[in-house]
Amino acid sequence: MMLEPAPHADRTHVVEAIDRTWFGAALGPEAQSRLADLARVVRVPAGTHLLREGATTEDLSILLSGRVALRMLVPERGMVTILTVEPGDLVGWSALVPPHRATSECVAVEPAVLLAFRGEDLRATLRTDHALAASVYPRVLQAVARRLAATRFQLLDLFSQEPRTSEVNPW
Amino acid sequence: MVSGLGASPTQVLDASAQVVDDAAAYTKSGPWFLLRANLQVLIDELRADGRRVIGPTVEDGAIVYDDITSMADLPEGWGDVQEAGQYRLARRRDRHLFSFNMGPASWKRFTFPPVIPLSVGRREGREVTFEPAVIDPPRLAFLGVRGCELAALGIQDRVFLGGPFADEDYRARRAAAFVVAVNCTTAAPTCFCTSMGTGPEIRGGHDLVLTELDEGFVVRAGSEAGSDLLARLPVKAADAGQIFRAASAVGKVAATIGDPLPTAGLHDRLLAQFDSPRWAEIAERCLMCANCSMVCPTCFCSSVTQRSDLDGHVSTSERVWDFCFTASFARVAGGNFRNRPRDRYRQWLTHKFATWIDQFGTFGCVGCGRCIAWCPVGIDVRQELMSIAPPLEARPDQVDVRPAAASPAEYTTARIDAVRAETADVSTLVLGGVDAAFVTGRPGQFAMVALPAYPPLPISISRYRQDRIELTIRAAGPATAMVIGLGAGAELGLRGPLGSGWPLERAVGRDVVIVTGGIGLAPLRPLIDAIRDQRDRFGAVRLYYGARTPADMLYRSELERWTAGDDIEIALTVDRADEAWTGPVGVVTHLFDHATWDGSRAVAFVCGPERMMQATAVSLEERGVSRDRTFVTLERHMECGIGLCGHCQMGRLFVCKDGPVFSLAELGEVFGREGI
Repeated sequence: MMLEPAPHADRTHVVEAIDRTWFGAALGPEAQSRLADLARVVRVPAGTHLLREGATTEDLSILLSGRVALRMLVPERGMVTILTVEPGDLVGWSALVPPHRATSECVAVEPAVLLAFRGEDLRATLRTDHALAASVYPRVLQAVARRLAATRFQLLDLFSQEPRTSEVNPW
Repeated sequence: MVSGLGASPTQVLDASAQVVDDAAAYTKSGPWFLLRANLQVLIDELRADGRRVIGPTVEDGAIVYDDITSMADLPEGWGDVQEAGQYRLARRRDRHLFSFNMGPASWKRFTFPPVIPLSVGRREGREVTFEPAVIDPPRLAFLGVRGCELAALGIQDRVFLGGPFADEDYRARRAAAFVVAVNCTTAAPTCFCTSMGTGPEIRGGHDLVLTELDEGFVVRAGSEAGSDLLARLPVKAADAGQIFRAASAVGKVAATIGDPLPTAGLHDRLLAQFDSPRWAEIAERCLMCANCSMVCPTCFCSSVTQRSDLDGHVSTSERVWDFCFTASFARVAGGNFRNRPRDRYRQWLTHKFATWIDQFGTFGCVGCGRCIAWCPVGIDVRQELMSIAPPLEARPDQVDVRPAAASPAEYTTARIDAVRAETADVSTLVLGGVDAAFVTGRPGQFAMVALPAYPPLPISISRYRQDRIELTIRAAGPATAMVIGLGAGAELGLRGPLGSGWPLERAVGRDVVIVTGGIGLAPLRPLIDAIRDQRDRFGAVRLYYGARTPADMLYRSELERWTAGDDIEIALTVDRADEAWTGPVGVVTHLFDHATWDGSRAVAFVCGPERMMQATAVSLEERGVSRDRTFVTLERHMECGIGLCGHCQMGRLFVCKDGPVFSLAELGEVFGREGI
């Protein structure tokens, strides 16, 4: 991985950064503070592969800025972008969900800044700190559920112009 | 506003529909004509009925309402000159009895007197008793009640009698009053009943209504009691000339007043301006004298005061008029909630023109203009409202445009000046030589487009230009493909503009969220044009646009210009990305699912496939954009475009005529439901 840990970031700034994100804003000050202890700021240039499909997911991250594409390889079509992750959302939720393997390629399409949490450390903390787990897991599940719902809508291909019925259309 | 209210306040609330029917029945055999001299008979009959007759009379240099025993008490030949801060009596050339405008007095003095006893309290030793005052109002007859004043009585009916607790003193006084109304045949520059929808013509709530002509009065009954009285008067059937002269005199007054205070969207416009610097500026001029509130026929606030004997054993409790302008009005033991004059003025104005609607379902103003004339420093509420919460200038969506060629049998023609390809199968036609009706159309309206031998096509208007319009059309079948393929110079048949527009008024002073997908950007483009024309009238403006692929996006160069202009925040997404696309990929809601803006004061405009609009509505609601502030435009089969052919019905709605723009609250359960 080409992750470059930033020089020691001010902890207050990390808490503030967490609070400004969709993922972090709802967690409450206690959980935000606990997470800040585990976080490191990661800056990556455009083109960086953050995750490889099928490989172990080392980190759960909150995207602070930039854009990250989730891509899958389709034979003869190459890498297809399924979805992009926008600031405030999670990258690498599989770090918390067994078997901890990435479900898609994950590539920064713009220079990106992330708050990263080592999966192993985070899992260990959540096993013992049930209050933290009770606020973090629902939010993770919500992020995954939104992604599922969004993917279903894409699947509907609502803007497709192929005829949906066999009736003759006079217009 | 209060049309259809019957004469008796109990009827008003219990069976208003019935009252309307009855009123229609009473007028069946009218109108009648009463000779001028015989007005005395009317006064005598009312008095013989055991009533005190209250009517206009000259006192202390003004026309006020007081006891009338004969016609000689009426202000014969008197008129007045009024302006902001001005009131003077003036002699008229005719001998009319009711050709004056509103004086300082209103009928509320008799239905809601300035002081009434409530109870007598006694303390003897350790015991206390409270004895309520006996309610026994005099039988009155009001002679000369105008349209705005009847509306004011209707408003006070709602205030005092419409809730779970009624004011019994008011109920008794109101029920004991017989109402002889008079249609206005004159107006002062301070009048604005036409804007408030209360006059100059009487719209119900009367027992009798008169219209004054030189030789007498055209008379109609409005209730059973009125009908009974009419039967005792020396009237004859009014002739056609008298009916015509009476109607045209009233019509002329309406035309003279015009519409000095456009009220469309006023509620929201005003409530969006709580923090306007104008409040402090008005407070610099306002003396907090409460004159406006005292002369107002709807102001209803009061206080309870105690008058006790010297040893404090017996005290009379009285209800007295009070006003939100007085310094003590919002005071509590710990301080004053409206300490500053600006707060008190804002309370008064926002109550009259906005929050009153939330409380009682009507404006708290009837447009009588008394507060303007009797303000010692000449503050004119109309001017203040227009400067604090002005209506939109360009294409005001409250103006109803008469479409060109409304009937499906008619078409105007227009010439295709240019065709611009937007995507592989979508093109924009620029049409010249269009009927003037199109130039005054509203964002969100549509046109019916026709070519001989093809079915008519309902197409949203995608831009209004000075003398041209644009239509953006997708080749969805033979007719649309044919129209797109015609090329410059060819002619088309056009009807419209039809349907409702986007209610941009609702968004003034608020943040705007526009969410759209695919060709759905077309009906929203004139809305974006209108917003950009008056950008400073709105808060943050965000446009979220999704398309199937980057190549399916409409108006790409314009999207770039709008973004560069920095006045609209734009986010684009696609369902399927190509190699070159580095923007977001995902459905359109994905663009703001993780955003942190607060939508609790935003208005949303949404257009796209219905399934997409549903998902959008859910995401917007999560962000705080309520269903009454979320507007969608619907697609349905439209043949006639004017609500006659029945194709586009959706539950109780005709999409072409009632829509195609609706709030989600209006649509209710039918939105997104299968098979409706």
